[in-house]
Amino acid sequence: MVTDLITSFILVVRNFILLTFSPYKTMRRISEEKDIYQPAIIIGLIFIYFKFIYYLRDKIYPATLIYLIFVINFLLTVFFFYLLSKLFDKDKKVINLSSFINTFTYSLFPTLIWFLSTSILYIFLPPPRTFSLMGKGFSILFIAYSLSLLIWKFIIVYLALRFSSKQSFYKIISMIILFLIWFIPYSILLYQFKLFRIPFI
Amino acid sequence: MKSINLRLTRKMNEVFSIEPNDLGLNLFTNYFRKVTSYLKTAPFIVVIPLTILISLFLYLVFGRLLIKLVTILQYGY
Repeated sequence: MVTDLITSFILVVRNFILLTFSPYKTMRRISEEKDIYQPAIIIGLIFIYFKFIYYLRDKIYPATLIYLIFVINFLLTVFFFYLLSKLFDKDKKVINLSSFINTFTYSLFPTLIWFLSTSILYIFLPPPRTFSLMGKGFSILFIAYSLSLLIWKFIIVYLALRFSSKQSFYKIISMIILFLIWFIPYSILLYQFKLFRIPFI
Repeated sequence: MKSINLRLTRKMNEVFSIEPNDLGLNLFTNYFRKVTSYLKTAPFIVVIPLTILISLFLYLVFGRLLIKLVTILQYGY
């Protein structure tokens, strides 16, 4: 078991690097994976992140509770897209739940990087940002950095849906729109309860 | 030879696991393929310069609002 875990960890690191260089090929391979340790390792890394930010945030809720809510969000998202793919599928293609779980856990990497880097920046360069030259420069770079990760996230999520659902471009866009219809009000609800300022998804 | 065939078959199955995208009009499909080809391999070569330009443009348009947005985002983790 320990050897399997180490192997899976190495594969997670390799896939993470490859997702930055060749997201298409890597996501296609991830969608075919059968290893359950890889998603477990990524979900575990996210648990460590939530434990880490507990010491930075206003301690309204315990880190484990926030993490459990994240897991519920994640499962809701995965099952929503899985069921929708089954509904959209008229040609009876092979659609596996494991493929959705694998690809969607890997799609959490840009989110994890953004949240982790922002929390580290909060320690070294705490807000508010000023209107000085340095403040403006940092702001422009921060927006560029955030946008880059957001675009990367869109690419990975699109590919996750493409290889897991095996649907066409228009159907995937329709699925994303249907997802946003319930997810945006749900995110506002989480914000109201001070659970997430920006949804971790 | 047998293992090469097996690897080739596996690779072919992987490559053809999904149907190619068809956006209805040939012009759209060709344009879509051209754009996505830049994003399939090393997307950051395109993405990083593009986002820097977008950020500069946003700063020129919104000015101080962008700096306030960064402050909000920094509290957003």
